[in-house]
Amino acid sequence: MSVSKKIAIETFDLTKKFGDLTAVDHISFKIAEGDIVGILGPNGAGKTTTIRLIIGIFQLENESRVEIYSEDLTNSPKELKKKFGIVPEVSNAYSDYTVWQNINFSGTIYGLSKQKIKDRANILLNRFELKDKMHAKTKTLSKGLKQRLNLCLALLHEPSILILDEPTSGLDPFSVNIVRNQILDLKKEGRTILITTHNMQEAQQICDRTLIMNRGKIIADESPDNLRKKFKPSSILYFKIKGKLSSEQENELKSLFHLKTEPNNHMSVITNNPLEDISFLNDYVKKQGIEISKFNLNETTLEEVFINLIKSDSKLNTEDKK
Amino acid sequence: MIRESLNNIWMLTKKNITLYIRKGPVLIFGLLFPLFMIISWILGRSITLSQIFIGIIAMTSFFTSTAVSPVILPIETREKSLERILSAPISLNELLLGIMIASALYSIIITSIIAISFIVLFPIVLITTPLSLFFIFLGIILMGILGSLLGLLLSAKRTDQTSDIMVLMNLVKFPLLFIGGIFIPLSQLPAGAAFIYYISPVTFLTELLRSAVDQNSMISSEINILVLCIWIVVLFIINHSIHKKTMPMRFSEIGGKQMKKMMMMKKQ
Repeated sequence: MSVSKKIAIETFDLTKKFGDLTAVDHISFKIAEGDIVGILGPNGAGKTTTIRLIIGIFQLENESRVEIYSEDLTNSPKELKKKFGIVPEVSNAYSDYTVWQNINFSGTIYGLSKQKIKDRANILLNRFELKDKMHAKTKTLSKGLKQRLNLCLALLHEPSILILDEPTSGLDPFSVNIVRNQILDLKKEGRTILITTHNMQEAQQICDRTLIMNRGKIIADESPDNLRKKFKPSSILYFKIKGKLSSEQENELKSLFHLKTEPNNHMSVITNNPLEDISFLNDYVKKQGIEISKFNLNETTLEEVFINLIKSDSKLNTEDKK
Repeated sequence: MIRESLNNIWMLTKKNITLYIRKGPVLIFGLLFPLFMIISWILGRSITLSQIFIGIIAMTSFFTSTAVSPVILPIETREKSLERILSAPISLNELLLGIMIASALYSIIITSIIAISFIVLFPIVLITTPLSLFFIFLGIILMGILGSLLGLLLSAKRTDQTSDIMVLMNLVKFPLLFIGGIFIPLSQLPAGAAFIYYISPVTFLTELLRSAVDQNSMISSEINILVLCIWIVVLFIINHSIHKKTMPMRFSEIGGKQMKKMMMMKKQ
């Protein structure tokens, strides 16, 4: 996180209990302006509750505090809520309203003038390819179109912070692609984005930083790359050589790498720096007059990191109880 | 700031009127129910025209005002649009007023049309002075607001099913109507039994109408108006404090099965 960047969202000791159950357990984090931060976690981890606390749907308990651009949310909730654009998992536009009626309603409650609503609607309906659906009832739209309408509604008042709760959940690949590209475009526009997702590939693709939550707590807070390096650092580099290595060459390689030879001239190397090692390996075998015919890098995915983290956190939790 | 608030309230009111007055429960409990009740009350009985007027206006006003407000929050909870409203720059009071005004307008317009039709059809029997007219329409407005607040209060129950609220609403509505002085006027009750009538706000509407129509009320018009106003203020305060508590619970999703599931996950 750059020092010069403003802090868009800062939470202090965020806690939410439902009876005996602590859904969010004393979590604090900062999100810098212009960053895309993903909250990842299994079902019931507290992701949506965290978002609802940030946007002021749930009342803050005890010492919990949320600051938006260094202003306390509870001091001026109405003004600060205007800084948010919210895209829910399930469409919450009025199903009996047309697309235009929904836009007009949203624009008005966010204090936009009639002309401004028209201008913004024009831009957004074109951007999200909804222009021809302007007078269609929302209930007649497909799930993908509804999600695009949600993005329109969220962006209508030009919020500086966009909060997306599993925005691609249940969408077809085409709509997923549109929504993801839009999110990346929004980042280019300098908007701060907080996104919850189950989808590791999505987090890996679009997030600058990921907060992994389990049982209401943040168990990791890193960039997707750092997470992979830190929590499951090794990747496996598979390659095939043309010809055969002599025993001296093989021993030399084994002294340099964690090398494993396999049948049919296939080999594998466990590496922490795949790019450097590929380049080194390539140069080395070339000098030896051997050619590598095929490279295949099996990189650690965020999904593997996620599963490992959740498993180890759950294991720790069980041990603590014992 | 005030302009922005008024704008929000009006947008919410407009939305509530547009989207909810044609919903099934509103039509059934707001129009069909009072219609059949009035018909079964009038047919085969010798009731004076002024009594019929009072009965029709009181019943229509009470039924229509309590028809729209109870359905809005459960429907919007189910359709998730309430979450959209609460995450927008809208205060709880604006949200409640948007529902209250929509429901009250629905009641005021329907009841006023019936009252005007009656007055036009039977002018001499009913109305004597402009003050009487003023009291009639003031009564309709006050009951419109009061009934909608009552409906809104009962919709604070955390549910996304309108039928849950309507059952509860009927449990409250019918006793209040039966002790509301429509079927047996307050003046015909023994002194000891009259106090039960004072529990129901409908009594003060029927008495206000009675004083306006045939000057035969046990309670003065001023007292009737004052009591109805007190009911409105008290109901609004209770609504605000109860909805403030229950509104976030509508989104907890951690009720019932979900709560059990999460508790089990925690234990594991």
